[in-house]
Amino acid sequence: MSPAVQTELERKRVRAHRRRQSKNWSLFLLFAGPNILLILAFIYYPLFSNMYYSTLDWRLGSSTATQIGLENYVAFFTSDSGLEVWRVTGIFTAGAVLGSMILGLLIALVLNKKIPGKTAARTAVFSPYVLSGVGVAMVWNFIFDPTRGGLSHILGFFGISSPEWYLNEDWSLFMVIIVYVWKNLGYCAVVFLAGLQSIPKDLIEAATIDRAGPIRRFVSVTLPLLTPTVFFLLVTNILFSMTNAFDILRTMTPTGHGTNTIIFEIYLQSFGAYQRAGYSAAIAVVLFFTLFFITAVQLRFVERKVHYS
Amino acid sequence: MKKLNSRTTTGVAALSIAVLALSACGPDTSGEEQEAGDGVDWAEVEPAEEIVFWSNHPGGSVDQEEELIAAFTEETGIEVTLENSGATYEETSQGFQTSQGTGATPDVVVLSDATWFPNYLNDSLLAVDEVLEAAEIETDGYVEALYEDYVYEDAHYGVPYARSTPIFYYNADHYEEAGIEAPPETWEEVGEISQQLMEAETANSAFSFPPQEEYPAWWMQNLIWGYGGSWSEEWDFSPVASEQTVEAIEFAQDATDDWASVSSGDPADDFGSGATSQIVQSTGSLGGILDTADFEVGVAFLPGGPESEGETPTGGAGLMISADSEPEEQLAAAMFIGFLTNTENTAMFSEATGYMPVQQDADMSAVYEETPQFEVAVDQLERARSQDNARVFLPGGDLELSQTLQEILTNDVDVAEEMESVQSSLEELYERDLASELE
Repeated sequence: MSPAVQTELERKRVRAHRRRQSKNWSLFLLFAGPNILLILAFIYYPLFSNMYYSTLDWRLGSSTATQIGLENYVAFFTSDSGLEVWRVTGIFTAGAVLGSMILGLLIALVLNKKIPGKTAARTAVFSPYVLSGVGVAMVWNFIFDPTRGGLSHILGFFGISSPEWYLNEDWSLFMVIIVYVWKNLGYCAVVFLAGLQSIPKDLIEAATIDRAGPIRRFVSVTLPLLTPTVFFLLVTNILFSMTNAFDILRTMTPTGHGTNTIIFEIYLQSFGAYQRAGYSAAIAVVLFFTLFFITAVQLRFVERKVHYS
Repeated sequence: MKKLNSRTTTGVAALSIAVLALSACGPDTSGEEQEAGDGVDWAEVEPAEEIVFWSNHPGGSVDQEEELIAAFTEETGIEVTLENSGATYEETSQGFQTSQGTGATPDVVVLSDATWFPNYLNDSLLAVDEVLEAAEIETDGYVEALYEDYVYEDAHYGVPYARSTPIFYYNADHYEEAGIEAPPETWEEVGEISQQLMEAETANSAFSFPPQEEYPAWWMQNLIWGYGGSWSEEWDFSPVASEQTVEAIEFAQDATDDWASVSSGDPADDFGSGATSQIVQSTGSLGGILDTADFEVGVAFLPGGPESEGETPTGGAGLMISADSEPEEQLAAAMFIGFLTNTENTAMFSEATGYMPVQQDADMSAVYEETPQFEVAVDQLERARSQDNARVFLPGGDLELSQTLQEILTNDVDVAEEMESVQSSLEELYERDLASELE
């Protein structure tokens, strides 16, 4: 074959390869393009816009702003109000995650037994999770009302006066943790139940034959085999409690009296009384990286200790 | 010179485009003064055929607003689209602020005493003096204290609409049971009467202060003004920690240790259910209280103090015109707000909602006959006083004051120290968020 023919063949091969590539790209853009555009428009554009706004001294709705670099971040990490937000977020997250998981596990252990009305009980336990947070908070507002609330009547029956749920900051925080745990524990219970049902029965039976009591069986057999579930719930609950509690917090304590967790503080600073859109954007960026960091650490270090059967 | 490779060039270009795209959609950060538009020659402007009105329907007034809009359209031919702007004044202001520059800004918006000023600072509101004159709306008839609430730097930025003042409510049945013949005229008398009510065990509480969510810094201006104090004088915040203000707040703190309590929710609910015998609450709550109470409801002027005779802070909401609208829409908007608040319509609106009639000549005789308590509320307007800047003009000022008041009223803290602390907070807010714009 002459070199000229060879060159011509090579050119044809390259052209055919390019045509295939071009066709593949066209197909890719046809199917993935709309989704990519949506993701760019509704996730990445707002994300990067928010990062840009976090460098501004900007009042909500104003057409002008001043570039101030990282001053909003410095203010958040050094001010007393910023430190208070971290304290409240820490307490709320710890209370909400531990409360939901411990109670969820206890309920799952009960639901895992052969008891009458198990299906109805499961439905009852899980249903608060799918209810609207605003509706849940409004109902609990009636329960906690110190003057006319159901709880104050029950406490009054035992001669105990109702705590000042709405006037005392510490009680307010405890109150919203209770409501969040009540709403969320059904989710934990159902996931734990699935985990419990995946544990092979022969292992439990073997431990029983070896005269291990219920507590020993739980600690030495059930719990180690539940670690993937525990790990999954730990990650999702921390993320949820830091981002999904807004509706309950806003409805029960509109001005963030002792309940200004980081997600609520973003709202309060921008849309609440202070109108500081730039500062609020900076807190939102901090929350984004906090969640990113928590997830990365958990995946990198905690998952190693998880026992997958 | 080292050549940039194509990836670096592409990266730099992409980053530049991204930064340009982000900054193009955000606020102007050039630091240059925004060009003021040329003055509008209103004589040359014809009113628009359609305008948009954002309202949170204060006092559940959606039916009245629809009725008034229908009457306005019939009279002028201008169509008005009524849009629900949220449940509260705060939500309305949030919506109005975030709508700026989106092309979805309404032409007329309901903004409260505490939310219109940030919108003024954002240049989102039209000064209404000229356009009202062009629309031939007489402003002399408005109750002066209510209309003057919308003045800043010699221009008005709205007209009064759903306006209210706080008033003293008492449970007349409890008074009779305790042998009390007349409501108090001073805060000292409130204390004495409350002691009598406590001795007669008429209710859980003789008097209730509001929690921080229920705007305690609003009506408690009456108490501190009575002692010669205030939250601020113009932009001077030292009066908030003055001897007079501290003395007034100490009076309230001592009261919570003795004859008063702090409500957990809306004090009007506690009063309406008979759980507390006396409250200070908005006149806008009168209708709701009369509907729920199964006892005789008494109302009286706000009590006075050692230094003044029961001055009452104004409150509620007004109607504002968007600076973003076209002149044609602004002229139609001016005609509309003038129509909503004319003598006849203000009487109808007040009768239905319980808000103050904003026109001096509004005929309220039918309402007074049916609800004599309302006449007391209207008569009290003689003692109306515009609120202190610290509460209504300083973003975050009301919240700082409300949180401090709740802290003082529910804990045994040193009042002078707390007030000095809130003075620092107010000064910091002013320096950080307002000073550069106002100076």
